[in-house]
Amino acid sequence: MPYTRAHVLLFLGPLLLIVLLMYGMMAWTVAISMSDWVGLAPVWKFNGLQNFRTLVVGALQERFFTNLRNNVIWLVVFIVPTASLGLLLAYGLDLSGKAERLFRPLFLYPLTLSFVVTGTVWAWMYDPEAGVINNGLRMVGLGRWAQPWIADPGLATLCLIGAAIWQYTGFAMTLYLAAIRDIPRETMEAARVDGASDVQVFRYVVVPNVGHATMIVTALLILITLKVFDLVWVMTFGGPGISTEVLPFFMFVATFRQQFVGIGAAISVIILIMAVAVVVPYSWWSMRRLQV
Amino acid sequence: MATRVRLRWLAVMLVAALSIVSATYAAEQQQLVVYNWWTAGGEKQAMDKIFEWFKRKNPNIEIVNNPVAGGGGITLKTVLLGLLAAKIPPDTFQSLSGAELKQYVDGNYIAPVDDVWSAQNLNANYPAVINKMTTFNGKHYGIPMNAHRANWLFYSKKIFDELKLTPPTTVDEMIAVAKQIKSRKPGVAPIAIGTREKWPAVFLFDVVLLSTGGPDVYEKFYTGQLNARTSPEVRTALQKYRELVPYLYEFHGAKTWSDIAAPMAEAKMGMMVIGDFAAGLLVQAGFKQGTEWDAVGFPKKPQEVFLMIVDTFVRPVAAKNPQATTAWLTNLTDPKVQAEFNVIKGSIAIHKAVPDSTYPDKLHREASATFKSKRIVPSSIHGVLAPPAFLSDWQDILTRFLYSPDVNRALSEISDAMTMDKVTESGQWYWAK
Repeated sequence: MPYTRAHVLLFLGPLLLIVLLMYGMMAWTVAISMSDWVGLAPVWKFNGLQNFRTLVVGALQERFFTNLRNNVIWLVVFIVPTASLGLLLAYGLDLSGKAERLFRPLFLYPLTLSFVVTGTVWAWMYDPEAGVINNGLRMVGLGRWAQPWIADPGLATLCLIGAAIWQYTGFAMTLYLAAIRDIPRETMEAARVDGASDVQVFRYVVVPNVGHATMIVTALLILITLKVFDLVWVMTFGGPGISTEVLPFFMFVATFRQQFVGIGAAISVIILIMAVAVVVPYSWWSMRRLQV
Repeated sequence: MATRVRLRWLAVMLVAALSIVSATYAAEQQQLVVYNWWTAGGEKQAMDKIFEWFKRKNPNIEIVNNPVAGGGGITLKTVLLGLLAAKIPPDTFQSLSGAELKQYVDGNYIAPVDDVWSAQNLNANYPAVINKMTTFNGKHYGIPMNAHRANWLFYSKKIFDELKLTPPTTVDEMIAVAKQIKSRKPGVAPIAIGTREKWPAVFLFDVVLLSTGGPDVYEKFYTGQLNARTSPEVRTALQKYRELVPYLYEFHGAKTWSDIAAPMAEAKMGMMVIGDFAAGLLVQAGFKQGTEWDAVGFPKKPQEVFLMIVDTFVRPVAAKNPQATTAWLTNLTDPKVQAEFNVIKGSIAIHKAVPDSTYPDKLHREASATFKSKRIVPSSIHGVLAPPAFLSDWQDILTRFLYSPDVNRALSEISDAMTMDKVTESGQWYWAK
């Protein structure tokens, strides 16, 4: 059947709509970020980069950099363990033969929960008195390691990240498992015939061959950390004080609770720039890879 | 076969969808679209009481209720922001009086309700301060219907009886009592508080400010009339607040206020400053006032006040069913409606014709009596006195302070936040004649 103009419209129409909506909204947000909009009703008074200045060098400087620092902590502390654990688990599953069928859904299951559920459950577990973590420590005689967890401004962000690692390890594992399955069996078998142990196979065959999966996993996890919001909202509400706040949380509070809509939009634009800084090199890299 | 079953299903769904659509259109003429945040157990039943009365009086108007969960209406406000900006307002929605209400006035989103106000003679039937909290630019913009009292001190009756303590009347006495509890019952946290949701830190500060500065200072502080950096009143209050820190429940950052209420009633914690809504929670959980817990208005000196949070409904500009809106607002002012609603809601009626004896429990009878006899001060909570933007910063400053109590840093943080959030400017309405 030849393609007609109707087909073109049918398939391109929705795509165009999505693109327009998405980029229209983005353009709108950029416009708002350069306006003086405070309050419930739109104010279209152009004020250039004033909102950005307020954030970076002005009255909100301390808060902005606390948020940014937390975002960076998320980037560093969340991504490496999640990806490494995912890779280890994937290799373990690959070795485990038939048991994989049992374990794969088990590890993947947390991913099906929403962050709100994860947050609520982990907040219970982190409870300093009644929580399962401290009680577990006390039970095995390690009571002196018990911590206030989310009630400690210095530890709270790490606690949130712990919950996120738990949730996303299965996701990293799945991607890595697919990558490991892509490695020609002969390569692995040849290594084994040559006397390589499982650890050596992992080190010299698996790790060098899952680079593309690492790229995908890292890029996706970076995007997840840049927009992390729900966990913070549910578990600590940014507290104690503002110690666990991240930029998306600040954006929501500034826009909807404080009605600093211009400032909120400016934060969104900064998050967007950070996301673009990750996604563009990644896309460029994967395109180049496809052409080879 | 399978295809036919599927087709039949499709047909059923289509008919269902069409009938819903047509039903909506048919009903459009006589509708009242209400947005509110009363979704929790008791709140919903209380709201149903208002609906019952409304339907009895207006059998031709169909109520379309759109409850949006989230205490203090945070989520509702997010939803409303979109509806109002798109100029498709509901027929009425819930707000709080004071600064929160002013936002909608400033945005030109709500219309005056002076017709209802004077028809129901609310100048005489409502306290003067409520008149003030709904009046902007000389016009009334909301119809309030209930009041919560924020300055209660709940305490564990068992601990107080066992140690022969009397409930404190000032913050200094509170500290003395806390000291007693700490030395004689080391396992008990003298002051129960949960700051995971942050705002209970403001409740605690508010009673400190009322105790050290009195109601005038309180009103001036939250409307930006005091310079936080230099005024001695703010510094004194913060210093006193710091003295409370060693007696607070250690892990307050991991708990919400509702996590804390039960341990207090079980004599694992001493006392807790919170609004009257805690009474409902305690009663529901089976704890008895007078034997397990009790509550007193706090502080009593230099002057006992009723620190008030008021729920309000408004008339949006260009609402689709103006008669329905007027009927709704009028219904809210009915003393009988207010009485039945408030008994379930756990707040008190603001219409003077509702007697104290309406309420089945001691706490609300006392609240109602205090409301009529003592000075009423608008609470800072939920942006009733200070603008919501400041309240958000304020709870961050206070919860941070509870973890690292540095008075000078906090004072400059307050001052900066007040400038950023334009507290002085937006507090002008409170002092307008």
